[in-house]
Amino acid sequence: MTLDLHGYGWMLWRGLGLTILVGLGAMGLAVTFGLIGAWGKLSRYRVARWLADTYTTVIRGVPELILILLVYYGVPTLIQDLAASAGRDLRVDLNPFVAGIATIGLIYGAFATEVFRGAFQAVPRGQIEAARAFGMGRVLMLRRVVLPQMWRFALPGLGNVWMVLIKATALISVIQLEELMRSADIAARATRLPFTFFFAASLFYLGITIASMLIQRRIESWSYRGAPRGQS
Amino acid sequence: MTPDVGPREAALRVTNLHKAFGSLDVLRGISLAAHEHDVIAIMGASGSGKSTLLRCINLLDVPDAGEVHVRGELIHMSFDRRGQRTPANPHQVDRIRTRLGMVFQRFNLWSHMTVLQNIVEAPIRVLGVPRRRAIEQADHLLRKVGLYDKRDDFPAHLSGGQEQRAAIARALAMEPEVLLLDEPTSALDPELVGEVLKVIDDLAAEGRTMLIVTHEIGFARAVSSRTVFLHQGMVKEHGPSRQILDEPRSERFRRFLSGGNWGRPALTTPSQTGESETP
Ligand SMILES: Nc1ncnc2c1ncn2[C@@H]1O[C@H](COP(=O)(O)OP(=O)(O)OP(=O)(O)O)[C@@H](O)[C@H]1O
Ligand SMILES: [Mg+2]
Repeated sequence: MTLDLHGYGWMLWRGLGLTILVGLGAMGLAVTFGLIGAWGKLSRYRVARWLADTYTTVIRGVPELILILLVYYGVPTLIQDLAASAGRDLRVDLNPFVAGIATIGLIYGAFATEVFRGAFQAVPRGQIEAARAFGMGRVLMLRRVVLPQMWRFALPGLGNVWMVLIKATALISVIQLEELMRSADIAARATRLPFTFFFAASLFYLGITIASMLIQRRIESWSYRGAPRGQS
Repeated sequence: MTPDVGPREAALRVTNLHKAFGSLDVLRGISLAAHEHDVIAIMGASGSGKSTLLRCINLLDVPDAGEVHVRGELIHMSFDRRGQRTPANPHQVDRIRTRLGMVFQRFNLWSHMTVLQNIVEAPIRVLGVPRRRAIEQADHLLRKVGLYDKRDDFPAHLSGGQEQRAAIARALAMEPEVLLLDEPTSALDPELVGEVLKVIDDLAAEGRTMLIVTHEIGFARAVSSRTVFLHQGMVKEHGPSRQILDEPRSERFRRFLSGGNWGRPALTTPSQTGESETP
């Protein structure tokens, strides 16, 4: 059985490309937020800990769809209101591509925060002490001993975050970005063949996931060089 | 113990060191000095503060009171905003640490680096030794501890004895003035103890200045010039190793040596440390 896409195949492929772009951008942002968040959670400073806890609590407590709508419609309004109160007339439109990446990144940054926090704590204390005992300063120790090992512990968790994140990009179809989900939706309406197009879209998502798993396995086996055998 | 004031600057001098963890007074006024070529064995029951003493010397733990001098240089201390005692100058501490080699009970090799990378890491990154020279020196040390064929292996693929020898090579690569060893053999299977003790024995014969926390009485007698016995946070007994290990003065030390209050039998007898007929 072949899937007849009635000439809308190119649209799905274009949507796939956009989904992957949004996914990669959001993942990059999530990793950044995650590192900052984990640093905050493990910080000596109470303010930093409090900020990081608030971040993860809010993200976990509010549905993703609402966060997306809040960012897309709320942030421009907020900026305009602020400008207005300063006596300026400002018209802000958020690009859905940017808004999508920002929101998905922000949301999954909270999950990455937990992943990184666990990974930092999994770096054996003794190895950190050895670094200190050899006269390494904080930055050198972080760069040469903590981060390289932290990644090894973080990779499986980050792989999970990526898998969930790429599926969550379907949510940003609500802000009119023609990624995979929205493209399928448009095609389904035009042809009145919802099953065909949503089924095709699901195969695309599955394809991304399978490809991701293969890549992840590669990266992990590379990063596990030298890890105790039981761990790899 | 009164610090013996020698004609030369001691390689390491610890004066009146105090350390408490919460309400637990672990060190209650420890003083000792290691002159060049001294090998000092530190003994004491589990929990008597041996590790804490070594960790206070290189500031992995911050002593509550007391002074540490490394070849005459005092490690300066001050108090932070909350009244916690803290090193006055972290850079001084980092610099002093490069002069004090540390060998840990559980090796603590960096597991993402090969043996060679472990050894050259700090010389290159901390001391700024050119890579080529660091590698040459590491290879020399690896031959010395009998690990040259393992230089490109990761620590997880070594036996405990090999790991500890690699850790000793890593410490030596910094060309430290004093080597601090915290029970270097007590995490090892009995049959691996000898190979590590042999390496330490060679270092003693070279005239390295060392502080060794050990439970190996035979080894201490053969290798160390002096022995210090810690009890309840103080130096209970100290003196030339042969003398006080053969004729302990205090009842406490006698009981310790006969294994009465120490759950583990001494693993090594002098004959097992082998080549140590030299003193
Ligand atoms: N960071 C810490 N926080 C709280 N208590 C500690 C800490 N480090 C050590 N202690 C306590 O201080 C005491 C001395 O510990 P230390 O490790 O110095 O003993 P030790 O003589 O080396 O013993 P062992 O022979 O078992 O290694 C122990 O009671 C230990 O539980
Ligand atoms: Mg100890």
